[in-house]
Amino acid sequence: MRQRVLTPYLFLAPGLALFVAFRVYPLLDGLRLSFTNARLGRAQYAFVGLANYERLLDDTRFHVSLLNTAFYAVASTLPILAIPLALAVALNRGASLRTFLRSAFFFPFTLSVVTVGLVWLWLLDPVVGPLNYYLKALGIPVRSWLADPSTAMWAIILTSVWWVTGYYLVIYLAGLQDIPRELYEAAALDGAGGWRSFWAITLPLLRPVFLFVFVTHIIGSFQIFGQVFILTQGGPGDATRTVVQHLYETAFQNFFQFGSASAMAWVLFAVILVFSLLQFRLLRGHTQY
Amino acid sequence: MVACAVLWLLPAVWVFVTSLKLTQNIVRLPPEWIPWPATLAHYVEVLFSSSRTARIGRAFLNSTIVSLGTVALVLLTAAMAAYPLARMRFPGRDVIFVLFVGSLMIPNAVVLVPQYILTERLGWLSTYQGLIVPEAAMTFAFGVFLLRQFFLTLPAELEDAARIDGAGPWRIFTRIVLPLSQPVLGALAIFAFRSAWNDFLWPLIAVNKPDMFPLPVALALLRSAYSSESYGPIMAGATLSALPLLIVFLVANRRIVEGVRVSGLKG
Repeated sequence: MRQRVLTPYLFLAPGLALFVAFRVYPLLDGLRLSFTNARLGRAQYAFVGLANYERLLDDTRFHVSLLNTAFYAVASTLPILAIPLALAVALNRGASLRTFLRSAFFFPFTLSVVTVGLVWLWLLDPVVGPLNYYLKALGIPVRSWLADPSTAMWAIILTSVWWVTGYYLVIYLAGLQDIPRELYEAAALDGAGGWRSFWAITLPLLRPVFLFVFVTHIIGSFQIFGQVFILTQGGPGDATRTVVQHLYETAFQNFFQFGSASAMAWVLFAVILVFSLLQFRLLRGHTQY
Repeated sequence: MVACAVLWLLPAVWVFVTSLKLTQNIVRLPPEWIPWPATLAHYVEVLFSSSRTARIGRAFLNSTIVSLGTVALVLLTAAMAAYPLARMRFPGRDVIFVLFVGSLMIPNAVVLVPQYILTERLGWLSTYQGLIVPEAAMTFAFGVFLLRQFFLTLPAELEDAARIDGAGPWRIFTRIVLPLSQPVLGALAIFAFRSAWNDFLWPLIAVNKPDMFPLPVALALLRSAYSSESYGPIMAGATLSALPLLIVFLVANRRIVEGVRVSGLKG
């Protein structure tokens, strides 16, 4: 391991430059901006202390956005944890056509959020969309799913589940394949049925995978933007308004308030950090077997 | 299980079917699943029409340039950074690595505004570099992590042998390490391509010239440009934008799955 002192740093230089200029610096600059009254196009601005954060305490639309976002994150967690897991367990039993099936579920994940949004906008269309037509044919009462405040967020959750299930399915499959076969064989010898060994072996051994899926999903959920932007623009009313949408509109559409938007960003960051730490607490500790 | 998978694919099939229908057949109920008579008119319209909004052809070119540029920049910077982190000993190594991994927890939304200000100050709004460099920065840390894991597994004897033959570190890196790492570099390339090709929020903010829109932004605007009954051109645009990744996916199915596995389980 003889090398010149500078060699490793020369290798690192381009990446570090990219990283510092476009990750570290913006992160810190955002924190600084959150204490100012910066606006788009305003060259001079002043420090205003905690004023932006204080204003967020009174900003009811921000509160609604935060609640909606939290609702989306929590309500989508169960389907996102359960559906890919159920599919992965079924596929892992050695279904024929496994590659085809896995690809079918994975395909939506290769689409952009805009495409996914447009697909579902068309499917969920209350008048000419196929979904309501088939539901009616089955005798299920229909409504304008996206225009009804009580269903709009659920419709968005549906599109997200369709979009990301394949990604988590592949991760679960990998986790399942790492569980030694002998464990199941031993359990079967002891007379444990399929359901029993699922609870006693599969679920506990998948704990690290759960933790990863859970944390990834929550971090992503709190930043949900594209689906809402395409499907509802935050409506009806503010029923599906989310934090990143509120931030986007504050900074780039209606008010061009960079200071205020930066304060929102840091509140969001704090919320995500708290949630992630809670999850680590919740799922860590019992992973050793 | 098969029925489930077919059901899962139906929305995507519906998009493709719709894109081939004559305009007057699109909104018909009951839904028609065979586009007959079929037409390519919607594709012609979004690709070649001179209309101000339907610039999918141009957006396709923009997305291609931006995504390939991002892939190149990510591969270059991440491989060069991961190599010393995996195979050399030097002061600050562990701190740098922890910083990279820790940055994976930073939500992209948090750096949105300052990144916009920085890009604007550089004069990069509505330019390719204004899309490529920030997109690469978003994927860089993940790339370092992925490649470092792989570089750690390479046998040290290969490097030692080359060193005895008088090869310097750059030569060892380009002639030995990189060629041995082709599978993982491929996985990272696909990952970076996908995230750059599909990103919506950053180009929505950083581009305000219609000629520079990448596909997701162009599609979103296409939607507001047409009345809701004109699904034909929108669905043609959606199909076109899904095509490159569909092809990559069909060709490199296993590699993508491997990439997701590695990224997931060791993240």
